[in-house]
Amino acid sequence: MADDIKVDVTMDLKGLKCPLPVVKVSQQVKKMQVGQVLVAETTDPGAHADFPAWAKTSGNEIINIVKEGDASKFFIKKLK
Amino acid sequence: MWDKVYYFIMIPMVYLAVATFVLGLLVKFIIVLSSPKPAGTYAVFPKRPLRFIGAVGEAFIVPVAFRKDKLFWLMIIAFHGAFLLLFLGHLELIREFIFLQIIPHKVFLGAGFVGIVLIVSVLYFLFRRFTSPWREISVPEDYLLLLLLFLTFIFGSHMSLASRYGIAGFDIPLDAYREYLSSLFTRNPAISQGIIASPHYVLVVLHVFFANLFLMLFPFSKMVHSVFIFAAQLIKRK
Amino acid sequence: MDNEKRKALIAKIKTRLSRPMRYYLDLCTRCGLCYDTCHVFYGIPRKEYSPVGRAEVVRRIYKKYFRPSGRIFPSWGDAKEIDDHAMDELLDAAFSCTGCRRCMIHCPFGIDTPFLLSIAKVLLIENGTAPEELTMLADGAVEKGESISEFKEGYREVIRDLEKEVAKRIGAASPDGLIPLEKKGADILFVGLAGAHSIVNPAIIFNKAGASWTLSWFEAVNFGAFLGDPEKMQRIADRVVKEAIALGVKEVVIVECGTAYRIPKFLLGPLPFKVSSIVEVIHRYLKEGKIKIKEKAVQEALTYHDPCQLGRNAGVYEEPREILQSICADYREMTPNRAFNWCCGGGGGLVALDNEQFRIKSGRAKYDQIVATGAKIVVSACENCIFQLDTIKSGYSMDIEVKSLTELVAENLA
Repeated sequence: MADDIKVDVTMDLKGLKCPLPVVKVSQQVKKMQVGQVLVAETTDPGAHADFPAWAKTSGNEIINIVKEGDASKFFIKKLK
Repeated sequence: MWDKVYYFIMIPMVYLAVATFVLGLLVKFIIVLSSPKPAGTYAVFPKRPLRFIGAVGEAFIVPVAFRKDKLFWLMIIAFHGAFLLLFLGHLELIREFIFLQIIPHKVFLGAGFVGIVLIVSVLYFLFRRFTSPWREISVPEDYLLLLLLFLTFIFGSHMSLASRYGIAGFDIPLDAYREYLSSLFTRNPAISQGIIASPHYVLVVLHVFFANLFLMLFPFSKMVHSVFIFAAQLIKRK
Repeated sequence: MDNEKRKALIAKIKTRLSRPMRYYLDLCTRCGLCYDTCHVFYGIPRKEYSPVGRAEVVRRIYKKYFRPSGRIFPSWGDAKEIDDHAMDELLDAAFSCTGCRRCMIHCPFGIDTPFLLSIAKVLLIENGTAPEELTMLADGAVEKGESISEFKEGYREVIRDLEKEVAKRIGAASPDGLIPLEKKGADILFVGLAGAHSIVNPAIIFNKAGASWTLSWFEAVNFGAFLGDPEKMQRIADRVVKEAIALGVKEVVIVECGTAYRIPKFLLGPLPFKVSSIVEVIHRYLKEGKIKIKEKAVQEALTYHDPCQLGRNAGVYEEPREILQSICADYREMTPNRAFNWCCGGGGGLVALDNEQFRIKSGRAKYDQIVATGAKIVVSACENCIFQLDTIKSGYSMDIEVKSLTELVAENLA
């Protein structure tokens, strides 16, 4: 499924310290157009709760999560 | 006309000043005590033992200043120590405080030295604020209060020195002040003849005037640090 | 700024006027003894970054609306109205302060400047000009507490991956149960952070010590506190409190994160469990012989940075030193240290903000301290400090290694 999604921006957040992954994603999403998709790759286990919680409060959507080894790719769609 | 002004300063204004001082502090205490206490503790570490003694000790010894600036520390200690003596000395001017005379002695033990110390230290604080960076952090209150203290001290010191050493034909004896202060204290106010009759009366009036202002400003200015320091020090040790 | 807004802001000030706040607002004599005690001032010597400079920004507004002198004769104490310019000043004062409280121990009255700045923070929140990043992080953390059940499966899955890593590191036959989640009746509830290192290294130590423990669903850090929103701070803190009570643990152990430790330890009032830092727990395990480290395994010169929230504001000074002195052969103290240690500049949520150049400058005191020790390894026990020490390292092109204490211990277990 991940292959079907058109990705606009990709971010490598691997190895970043708390709380940078969410901050960077949020800053990036702000720069994007509604409907665009961001892929954020992170090794933080906490991201599996932090990203969805952030998406909920900021009104964006996580459309897919793909695990690749230690890292996970979060597909985030800007909704507003 | 001036008689009336002098009278107002010497008697009604003194009562007004004392009332403002007492009520002001009282209101302040009520406000503080009715404010909520936060949960938990806001201490800094390492925590020193003997919370109360430690807080009082730090308030009086000011080790923070000692570490940072020895001259400033010396002036702080000199000023506050002298101020305490000055307070006791004035209490002694009220006859009713006889417990201070358990060991009979001449009033104003400092023999003029206390006043000099206060004047020197207040001038030091004032001039310190004229220099950077203290100038940048000072507000008008800081200068005006020091100026007020300076004026109170200079007239008070003059009265004390002159009467003790008989300088410049100063003719108001110490007992005249005792009579006056005791009359105020017993709520039977009268300005003793010894003061009124003297050509130096105006100096006494000025001293009392500035002292009144000091009392009236006390609860509404940063001078409340002399009371709140203990509470703040206790929070640091909770 | 219209009057309605101003009224709302003044009402906000009122909510912060607790007893200590009233003392701190009233008793400053502007003696200036604190003037050069802030690390930010050390790096950027401007009055605005001196503790008294910061506090006056708040105090002037308080005087204007809450003191008779400020109402009748504002210039007496330099009382100032709340306007947009004042809000900008408050922003600069509050979010350049790390909350380290170094100024507090240099104040003859013990004025807690960060506590005073909590007024600035509630005003900024009400005004809608508090840092977006912190607001967003705090909201996310609150939301996570509300709907944790939705996220549990995804989290459980990645924790299984981490278990494999722990198994590899400690040579366990099976990874199963090496990082327990939701284990009722465990002795310890460990609260980590988002990063894998903050879970794996403690897990190695807990397993080696044979501890009865379980991992929290939540991250320890409290962005509500950094933001200065008392309600969000409480809700974020309550997530772990509720979790600990539900699991019936005896002790909550907090990862290397200073604020996350100080809040439950000292600021929430009495709790039905003990709160410890992972540093204290490591120290305890070593003392009890539950874990052993390779004595003097590290030969290079090493120094320790006291995280302000763990040291000055919580009193954990000697435990990390004893641990480090047994691991390394050449332990060096920074000067000054312990209560008087300089803040690195990373606290107060500042590392979450877009301010790297500022943090490099405000890290100057720490840089000078590290250079003076000649140490090649700088250890600390707070994620924010480690983050900031890395910023200082790259900002000043330093030839040092920055390490977390837990990581160093986990790597050198015998």
